[in-house]
Amino acid sequence: MGVVRRKSLSGTIIRYILVAIIIFWAIFLIYWGVVTSLKPPAETFTITGLSVPFLQFQPTLENWRTELSTRESRSALLNSIIVAVSATLIALVLGVPAGYALARFEFRRMKNRDLTIWFLSQRVLPPVVVLIPFFLIMRTLHLLDTLWALILVNATFVLPFAVVIMRQTFQDLPAELEEAAEVDGCSDFMSFWRISLPLAVPTLVAVAAICVAFTWNEFLFALSLTTLKAKTFPVYLAGAEDTRGVQFWFIATRAILALAPPTILALFIQRYIVRGLTFGAVKG
Amino acid sequence: MRKNRRAKYFFIFPAIIWVLAFTIFPLIYSLGLSFFRVRLGRPAQFVGLNNFARIFSDYKLGNSLRVTLLYVAITVSIQLILGILIALLFNQEIRGKNIFRALLILPIFCTPVAVGYLGLTIFYEEGGPINSILMSLFNLKIPWLSSRIWAWVAVFLLDIWQWTPFCFLVILAGLQSLPEEIYDAAYVDSSSEWEIFRKITFPMIQPVIMIVLLLRLIESFKIFDVVYSLTGGGPGTATEVYSLYTYRTGMKFFDLGYASALGYLLLAIVIVIINFLFRQIREVYE
Repeated sequence: MGVVRRKSLSGTIIRYILVAIIIFWAIFLIYWGVVTSLKPPAETFTITGLSVPFLQFQPTLENWRTELSTRESRSALLNSIIVAVSATLIALVLGVPAGYALARFEFRRMKNRDLTIWFLSQRVLPPVVVLIPFFLIMRTLHLLDTLWALILVNATFVLPFAVVIMRQTFQDLPAELEEAAEVDGCSDFMSFWRISLPLAVPTLVAVAAICVAFTWNEFLFALSLTTLKAKTFPVYLAGAEDTRGVQFWFIATRAILALAPPTILALFIQRYIVRGLTFGAVKG
Repeated sequence: MRKNRRAKYFFIFPAIIWVLAFTIFPLIYSLGLSFFRVRLGRPAQFVGLNNFARIFSDYKLGNSLRVTLLYVAITVSIQLILGILIALLFNQEIRGKNIFRALLILPIFCTPVAVGYLGLTIFYEEGGPINSILMSLFNLKIPWLSSRIWAWVAVFLLDIWQWTPFCFLVILAGLQSLPEEIYDAAYVDSSSEWEIFRKITFPMIQPVIMIVLLLRLIESFKIFDVVYSLTGGGPGTATEVYSLYTYRTGMKFFDLGYASALGYLLLAIVIVIINFLFRQIREVYE
């Protein structure tokens, strides 16, 4: 825990002023988006300063109602949800057993550490490097502008999270339980399914949330592999400008709608974020 | 560690095959493409190393490479320094720390494209919040998105906004894992706060800082979304980062062979830079 230092009143005051500045800076962009989405369009530019709702203007849900009743918007939201959930499920089904194997069994031809780093190194690859081949492969398979293409791509991108974080989680579980079960004639599959996996559920949920958030936020491939039907919400957001001019009230509403799901998910898995985003290298 | 078990292959093979199919195969395919002149609807034409030779005379590529390297160097160092400072601040006694920490998590998970578009609204030159505050305080109007330099600054600010909290969070976790006793001893010897930081705290959290640096470098080279949505690479090509240039070459001008070659150049650059750092934190995964 924190270190208690010598205290002085002025030091304390300065400390809290700094904290206030940092928090203001950290939430200002989101605050501004929310406030703009609540302004009546006609007043978007006439309300100045911090635009505090109720004090400076009467907030309205008009923009939100319009946005949520647009068919395009709803279909983009639905696409994003389907892609995020499916890609995450694939990543977990493939990645959790792999992480378990790396934690519990010894691989000789390629050592466990090298295999782990091999999986991890997928995250090093800048996605744009595989953009062109993916585009051509999906074109050949007639999967352009389908959710399948996006599910396959995103499952690939988030798989390293599942493998590497779950490996560490299984490593931290005591092996004695499984050894005891083995004496009682429990197979390797059974001890994974019945003993280790249930103990790893909290991390599993956190990994799933991280995978969903990353898939939800993915933009480059969603932009390149879809044209109409399979647009995800970020791509829909990016298209808004071309068709309607700079209508900040819609842009703000959409942007907030886009970033709400991943940020809310993040709040539920706070305890696991440091470990998750550093691939277990730093324990939070 | 159990050794000679068949089961281990059943556990790990599906994941390995998936990576081979969806990462390694596209990478090999991409390498192949980079030796061809590929245009949609026309047969590919073998051009040998022409695509790679083009790299040297492509001034737009030179520009995007410069823009990207400068962006990575500047934003990552600012994020690290601010991250360390804020972590040191939060490592002290602060009421409501958990709530503040939760608020600081939010930027990390924000959809980058949405961040770019929100940026569009706050950097708006005529009456956006930043300019209207600057106007009333200093009678100053900054041409955020129409000047080359300021467009840069705007992209940097958004990126720093989004990723400083990540550096902060991880470094704070590192600080909180340090044993308190070492500080007790240090205060007995009574060195100044700065000296304690320099001689004790910093060396002990250095491994954590290295990890943060590595992860930020990796992610920074991928930058695309914020630039695409905030400036579109403009004005002119002032903020056209590498991924954006490659995307345009491939997906807008459908010069697929050359775009593949561009991808490989980026991969080579990233590997050279990362490899150096990666060797140092390898033992973490022992």
